[in-house]
Amino acid sequence: MPTVSMAVNGKDVSGEVEGRTLLVEFIRKNLRLTGTHVGCDTSQCGACVVHVNGRSVKSCTMLAVEAEGATVTTLEGLVKDGKMHPMQEAFRDQHGLQCGFCTPGMVMSTIDLLRVNPDPSEAEIRDWLEGNICRCTGYHNIVKAVQQVASGDAA
Amino acid sequence: MDMNGEKVINAPQALVWQALNDPDMLRASIPGCQELERTGENGFEATVKAKVGPVSAKFAGVVELLDINAPESYRISGEGKGGVAGFASGHADVKLIPDGDTTTLVYTVNAKVGGKLAQIGSRLIDSAAKKMANQFFTKFSENLEGYTPETSSKAAD
Amino acid sequence: MNDMLVGKPLKRKEDQRLLTGKGRYVDDIRRPGETYAVFVRSPIAHGIIKSIDKEAALAAPGVLGVFTGKDIQRDEWGSIPCGWVVTDRQGEPHKAVPHYALTPDRARYVGDHLAVVVAETYEQARDGAELVEIEFEELEPVVTLAMAMEGEQIHDLAPQNLCYDWELGSRAEIDAIFETAHHVTSLDLVNNRLVPNAMEPRAAIAEYDSGLDSYTLWSTSQNPHMLRWMLSGSVTGIPETKIRVIAPDVGGGFGMKIYCYPEETTCLWLSKVIDRPVRWTGDRSESFLADTHARDHLTTVDLAMDKDGTFLGMKIDTTANMGAYLSNYATSIPTYFYATLFAGCYKTPVIYSNVRAVFTNTSPVDAYRGAGRPEAAYLIERVVDVAAREMGMDPIDIRRRNFIKPEDFPYQTPVILTYDIGDYDASLDEALRMIDYDGFPARREEAKARGKLRGIGLACYIEACGVAPSQLIGKMGAGAGLWESGQIRFNATGTAFVLTGTHGHGQGHETTFGQIVADMFGIPIEDVELIHGDTSQVPMGMGTYGSRSLAVGGSAIVRAGEKVIEKGRKIAAHMLEASVIDIEFEQGLFSVTGTNKSVTIKEVAERAYVPLDYPEGLEPGLDETAFYDPGNFTYPAGTHICEVEIDPRTGVLEIVDWVAVDDFGTVINPMIVEGQIHGGLAQGIGQAIMENGVYDPESGQLITGSFMDYCMPRADDLPSFRVGYTCTPCTHNPLGAKGAGEAGCIAAPPTLINAIVNALDIRHIDMPATGEKLWRIARDKIAAQ
Repeated sequence: MPTVSMAVNGKDVSGEVEGRTLLVEFIRKNLRLTGTHVGCDTSQCGACVVHVNGRSVKSCTMLAVEAEGATVTTLEGLVKDGKMHPMQEAFRDQHGLQCGFCTPGMVMSTIDLLRVNPDPSEAEIRDWLEGNICRCTGYHNIVKAVQQVASGDAA
Repeated sequence: MDMNGEKVINAPQALVWQALNDPDMLRASIPGCQELERTGENGFEATVKAKVGPVSAKFAGVVELLDINAPESYRISGEGKGGVAGFASGHADVKLIPDGDTTTLVYTVNAKVGGKLAQIGSRLIDSAAKKMANQFFTKFSENLEGYTPETSSKAAD
Repeated sequence: MNDMLVGKPLKRKEDQRLLTGKGRYVDDIRRPGETYAVFVRSPIAHGIIKSIDKEAALAAPGVLGVFTGKDIQRDEWGSIPCGWVVTDRQGEPHKAVPHYALTPDRARYVGDHLAVVVAETYEQARDGAELVEIEFEELEPVVTLAMAMEGEQIHDLAPQNLCYDWELGSRAEIDAIFETAHHVTSLDLVNNRLVPNAMEPRAAIAEYDSGLDSYTLWSTSQNPHMLRWMLSGSVTGIPETKIRVIAPDVGGGFGMKIYCYPEETTCLWLSKVIDRPVRWTGDRSESFLADTHARDHLTTVDLAMDKDGTFLGMKIDTTANMGAYLSNYATSIPTYFYATLFAGCYKTPVIYSNVRAVFTNTSPVDAYRGAGRPEAAYLIERVVDVAAREMGMDPIDIRRRNFIKPEDFPYQTPVILTYDIGDYDASLDEALRMIDYDGFPARREEAKARGKLRGIGLACYIEACGVAPSQLIGKMGAGAGLWESGQIRFNATGTAFVLTGTHGHGQGHETTFGQIVADMFGIPIEDVELIHGDTSQVPMGMGTYGSRSLAVGGSAIVRAGEKVIEKGRKIAAHMLEASVIDIEFEQGLFSVTGTNKSVTIKEVAERAYVPLDYPEGLEPGLDETAFYDPGNFTYPAGTHICEVEIDPRTGVLEIVDWVAVDDFGTVINPMIVEGQIHGGLAQGIGQAIMENGVYDPESGQLITGSFMDYCMPRADDLPSFRVGYTCTPCTHNPLGAKGAGEAGCIAAPPTLINAIVNALDIRHIDMPATGEKLWRIARDKIAAQ
């Protein structure tokens, strides 16, 4: 079996994987980072979004071996010195999560949105979230959470 | 899934008929066909690799020729299993209408799919089947050029 | 002294762990020595199993075993039960067809569980499952409701595939009313099949301890105690004391995770056979095939009116789909949670309904957010709208004319239920004000100038929540009471555990129940810890569904709190050297009436566990349990109004405004309640315009079996919502709360369809009103002009 090495949440990690192992399986099973979720098998739901080299990626669309040498950040890696990322704070402030299952993907995806578009309109936020499905919130409060971070206001 | 159509083939009826009963010719013309072996007078075993939308699988199955009315018509019936990808089964009624040096092939296909193929690929089945049919006839017509029945495996039987 | 927390939009206690990746869902849990199960499912809709060849799979690498229904039958495990007996028109009980963990004889739907492969790794189990060969004698599948009663019989017990033919009301009485009515509005409706699609797929881990001869089952369940009860009492015969069910963080349920499912039952059996932990996590394809589905009715409704538009009587004829087997509560949904709501908000004096439930070769159908009540609200609010159109009346006026008025409560409906309180005009008034109803014609004109068809629609819904008063549902055929337990256990240091038999999976119970208990005892919410979802910790429980957690579970916690206060008064009396009758309790302080002598709850808690100088008869400890059985259902109601714009050239629909005015009684946490409304609306809007579970009518294959084909609402399909409240507190529970989980999902379909038919100026359109349907209608209308 091939060995794959990458930096995940600031730590160098490596592991043996089958060729068919997906990045999300490597993250969840090998690294035991279970904050990244699997909600579908057709790359539609977005619960597995992580950052690979700074960009949001559905980690079910990528083989673990393709991430060789990459820098990967998961939801767990956003917490710095015990403090949540402003997007995590905003999801709490605005009640942007209920069951929490789609949340890792939502947070990782919307952080990337603000990287490419720091001041999105409501329509742009909704359009960006096309690849992330939430069954609980109706998206209303997720949109508000992104707006909170974009505007720089804390609730 | 139902599909029908017709195709004018640049060869006389008798030759087309022979080609349609020749495993080598069929293997060379069916898109994705990796194996096709005669197992009885009118039966074949086949392995076909097919891709429908996001589902790609190798189907292993049996093909049977029924209602043979040489050299005018037959029904080709088959079913194949693709493991977790599901299954496909169906038949095609094929009729050859002679028109001098050319032949019009009229076909009616009735097929059904199951398992993941139906679950994930169903909205693509019709277009995938049409595409496969077109590929088959294009390839079949190409292969007919220079085709002589003597090269067929039937002769070797 | 605390500020009161009840009524405040407190941020959620759950969010810290869920937002930092520290949630613990079933698939996140690992057990030493665990093995993996993968199910072999039927690829065909209907067929007799001729043979199952395990040999190739057994020889595959890592495979530990391959099992079929016959293997489980050897251990005499029984059928998964349906716990609600519906008695048909002839007085006979519904056809209780068997539903085994692994189906031994005949495949009855695509996805039916026929065999299971257990292996060292998931990949090996999956590869092994591919090698299991099943030979069938194929039978004609029964797919659509229309063909169900004529098709091939699916169960030996159920001729004509009829589960029951049930009625409520008198046919003779309703016929007499229809004979003399001034006008009858008649409407045929489809209530489309839905796939619940909680984002977390179902999962289970079962572990057998041979030393204790006991089982632990981690399950994605909304209802762990009931799951244990069914597994013990109906399926396995294993004593309840030997089964522990744990439902940890669960990623959404919406009703679909209430039930005892074949997969977790099989894992439980396997855990002893393999004698190692056995885990199964479904993938999304399996969710589509084998989770319970929802709705799926064909209905004709007739509404009789006098010349002023006063409702005289209503007649409903429904065929409801049960799917291939009966899920746990399937029988009750299109009867006692449907036909008992047909009065709606109106004083319709006579109502008759006839429901035929049929089996088909499709996934079992059971409760999903709203469960019967969305189907009821949809038919009422649609037929009322069509009636207004036919009578030439304003849709607001026809509703007001027939509303039950505040002075009519308690109001006995003709369909069993008695509404305790409500004010339907109040929520209608508020919704009309918020949407600026009078300004609509101008907005329509302005939209027309832009080439858009603008429509407005409303629905005045009611639901029965706080499920459920045991005596009443017992008369309806329920096999269990629907009380709830609550326990408050003070620790010696003054913090408290709260235990509830409800289960939170997104609803924020840890926060809401924390607010209630913190206020009750004047302690910080940080000092209150909720324990739920573990049958070995929580005394007993009936789970979360039917918007019951706060109204029933919260009430049980209040009752337990009252017992704690009573006990605390005795301890305080001892500490303060006063008589118990002189001790009063307020905001965390026990004090002697008329003095400034007092002790805090913290001091009392400490002394409860340090009873060094207790007098005779005073019992140590500060830990009380209460069981609460509601006296009635609760009746949340409200008005939703929305405005849509349709582009006639493309059929594209935009929801441009949505106003939700709901009466949930007392609101504990308005932030959480708003979130519940938003989420319910998204699901209801999904049903109205997007979602549809479709089986191929010939083959019975599920052709909307993935997120690529089943249209889930996404962020850019939905608007932001405007939420308002009116409040008539529930009269019969200590919180005054009615429940808010399902309202959006109930109100949304009729609201949106009413707006769409208004925009297009048509009589009716069936759900889902997709862009394609709208485009065809708009195109035909343009062509006709």
